[in-house]
Amino acid sequence: MSPIRSIAAIAHADFLERTRRYSFLLALLFAVFLGYATATGKVFLNFDEYRGVYTSGWIGTLVAMVITCFLTLAGFYIVKNSIERDRSTGVGQILAATPLSKTAYAFGKFFSNFAVLSCMVGVLAVAALIMKLWSSEDPRINLWALLSPFLLLALPAVALTSVCALCFEVLPLLRGGLGNVAWFFVWSFGLSAPLLSGRRWLDPVGIMTVADSLGAEATHYVPNYHGGMSFQINIGQRLHVVQDWHWAGIPWGMHSVLLRLMWFAISLVIVPLAALVFDRFDSATSARRRSRAENAISATAQQVSTARNLPHPTSHIRLTPLASTAHASAFGRIYLAELRLALQGLRWWWYAVAAGLLIGQFAAPLKASRGPLLAVAWLWPVMIWSAMGSRESRFGTRALLFSCARILPRQLLACFLAGVTVAALVGAGAAFRLLLAHSSSGLFAWLAGALFLPAAALALGIVSGTGKPFEALLTIAWYVGPMNHVPGFDFTGAANGGQTIPYTLVYLVLSTALLVAALLFRSRQLRSA
Amino acid sequence: MQLLVEKLSKNYRGGVPALRTVQLSLKPGILGLLGPNGAGKSTLMRILSTITRPSSGRVLWNEIDIARNPDALRGVLGYLPQDFGVYPHLSAVEFLDYLAAVKGIPAAAARQRISELLVLVNLADVAKRPLGGYSGGMRQRVGIAQALLNDPQLLIVDEPTAGLDPEERVRFRNLLSELSGERIVILSTHIVSDVEAVATDIAILAQGQLLAHGAPEVLLSRVTGKIWEVVVPSAELPSLRQKHLISSTAHRSDGVHARVVSDTQPSAEARQLEPSLEDAYLAALASQRSVVTGIAA
Ligand SMILES: Nc1ncnc2c1ncn2[C@@H]1O[C@H](COP(=O)(O)OP(=O)(O)OP(=O)(O)O)[C@@H](O)[C@H]1O
Ligand SMILES: [Mg+2]
Repeated sequence: MSPIRSIAAIAHADFLERTRRYSFLLALLFAVFLGYATATGKVFLNFDEYRGVYTSGWIGTLVAMVITCFLTLAGFYIVKNSIERDRSTGVGQILAATPLSKTAYAFGKFFSNFAVLSCMVGVLAVAALIMKLWSSEDPRINLWALLSPFLLLALPAVALTSVCALCFEVLPLLRGGLGNVAWFFVWSFGLSAPLLSGRRWLDPVGIMTVADSLGAEATHYVPNYHGGMSFQINIGQRLHVVQDWHWAGIPWGMHSVLLRLMWFAISLVIVPLAALVFDRFDSATSARRRSRAENAISATAQQVSTARNLPHPTSHIRLTPLASTAHASAFGRIYLAELRLALQGLRWWWYAVAAGLLIGQFAAPLKASRGPLLAVAWLWPVMIWSAMGSRESRFGTRALLFSCARILPRQLLACFLAGVTVAALVGAGAAFRLLLAHSSSGLFAWLAGALFLPAAALALGIVSGTGKPFEALLTIAWYVGPMNHVPGFDFTGAANGGQTIPYTLVYLVLSTALLVAALLFRSRQLRSA
Repeated sequence: MQLLVEKLSKNYRGGVPALRTVQLSLKPGILGLLGPNGAGKSTLMRILSTITRPSSGRVLWNEIDIARNPDALRGVLGYLPQDFGVYPHLSAVEFLDYLAAVKGIPAAAARQRISELLVLVNLADVAKRPLGGYSGGMRQRVGIAQALLNDPQLLIVDEPTAGLDPEERVRFRNLLSELSGERIVILSTHIVSDVEAVATDIAILAQGQLLAHGAPEVLLSRVTGKIWEVVVPSAELPSLRQKHLISSTAHRSDGVHARVVSDTQPSAEARQLEPSLEDAYLAALASQRSVVTGIAA
């Protein structure tokens, strides 16, 4: 039998299954929107306040760079679910009993990832062509200059992203939320790798290739040019077009092309390595170490099997009749149950780190306590929050849960409050310090943050049915806001300075809106279930 | 063609023994695997399907250890897991074509076989519809078709009739008996009548141990002369249950007719009956249970 046919079949089936999903359409729409935004001048590539004429090369490179940045980050989250799907649907068990080799399987999944992302690259290449025809700045069309950035900048980067998604899926540690958080850091390292390491070839997205050629020309055309190039989102600033700067596009030479093709080769080499660690859907050996939750499962199994040793049941069955159910404590019970569910399966080291961060908040100076320490403490429970709202669809308990009487507002609220409780507990030290310092605005901001995070998690979880969007967005917001002090993005409130109260009010309004959205969405799901 | 299971044990993490030194030797024919919930049936089948590795012991397929060289078996294996899913957005044809490719069946042969199989499991009308819209029983039939794709020499089906309506169950039984011949079929189920109809061999598993293995006649002969019909007023049924193992009851005008499994005649009026496989199964379980409780006590 030919492994090529199995690889193609896996990639094909996986690709069909994905592209027929609603979420693929959404991602594609967003890619089209990105293309449109670039075409209408919302994103540009500039040198100080200047840019060149929109030649074929300029437009192709600009759009290709935008899509590369988008797909290497968001695209990772889009494709990191193909092995997961085989695991959760159970198709994996069927595959495991066939002669299919782990390597063929890994290659199939890799090509499917790559095909999905390449589709989006293709859409943007078409968008770039339309944009070029639209723009009247430069009448000449050079197809190679326009399309080569998609082929040689975007595709190798996307291939590397595809193989990374595969690796994250086969490694038990990175399979879940931790991997989703980690990818953001891997990605930002990847973007800045050539600068950080000083090795020009270590450049997965090809920024150096662009910068070399454009930078050299910029010194000619841009007045007082100091070096540097940036992508910007247009927020009202005006750029000057240097009328005689007709950049011909990236001057591909043997060296630069090989450098780009190298990333294809690297990706293809990593695929079989990923296959080596793949467990072939043997759930019994997937994790070497035993977690508490697994021990609990084994313990129950033991009890179940000993329970079977009981003598034959007699027909004298007596069940204690239920007294008329008291509803007073019902909400409290749901709340406690949701809290227990939220904390299930956490290992000792999770608590150890959370406790360390809490002690740190009590002990450190106010600035550090409510700043970086609180920020880390509120990133730490990301997996607890991201499970909210999506747990029911992930574990298939929807039908069980939603058939209960009057479940909707109560269970949702209980789940939300459980999330708030977690935020309040892990951030209690900072709140205490703010209280001591009589900082009522700081305390207000803290409270808004503690409400906002679970509200966002719940809404995203319910809408998407997975924890991934929240994990990815929280990580990005965390990096932009609390870590880089961009006001507005800092959900801890520490970076907002004098604007604390207005920002906090925005967060409160946003949290309310998210909760309402969650409620509406869930009730729609219930009606259509 | 021979499947040999040698001293097979499986302990899941946490030390639950799911299989304890199971010993089996199979030749072409249909093996019905019976056992209560949690007996280890699925575990045994997953090991035979090369998905799970045993903790100790070996499985030999034509003298080849399948843990060492799983591909020797996988090429000729059909497996229907107890719980499985499908890609909801693919049609039955697309899904089967996908699995055919994975199993290494050439494209043209696969197309032919898929359309035949879809007729066989009565899904030809809906073959182009996405699987997400299938009912539970329809999905189960896609699973059955899938297991037969590569004309397997070893066919392992884990509760294949779960969720099928009576008509489809009969159809499946017929399919199975027609298919057997030069292949080994292992079928697990809770429905003794399913096994009774088709199995050439029966194995009873309980708490990871093989209680019995043999032809249906052999199992039946163990309880011949031990099955009695006792007629009692319904009020006395509970006390009868406490004294004897009862395999079934039926309410009639003259009282409850109870099928009692007992070595000795339970009462003077008791009438001896022809044993059924169900009786043999219950008796085997009961004897094991009394041994275990005897040890515990
Ligand atoms: N992945 C697992 N991890 C731990 N224990 C397991 C696992 N799978 C099964 N077990 C345990 O192994 C034993 C046998 O399970 P198995 O699924 O083989 O039973 P079964 O005979 O197929 O039952 P059923 O008729 O309910 O399908 C049970 O005690 C079960 O609790
Ligand atoms: Mg089972």
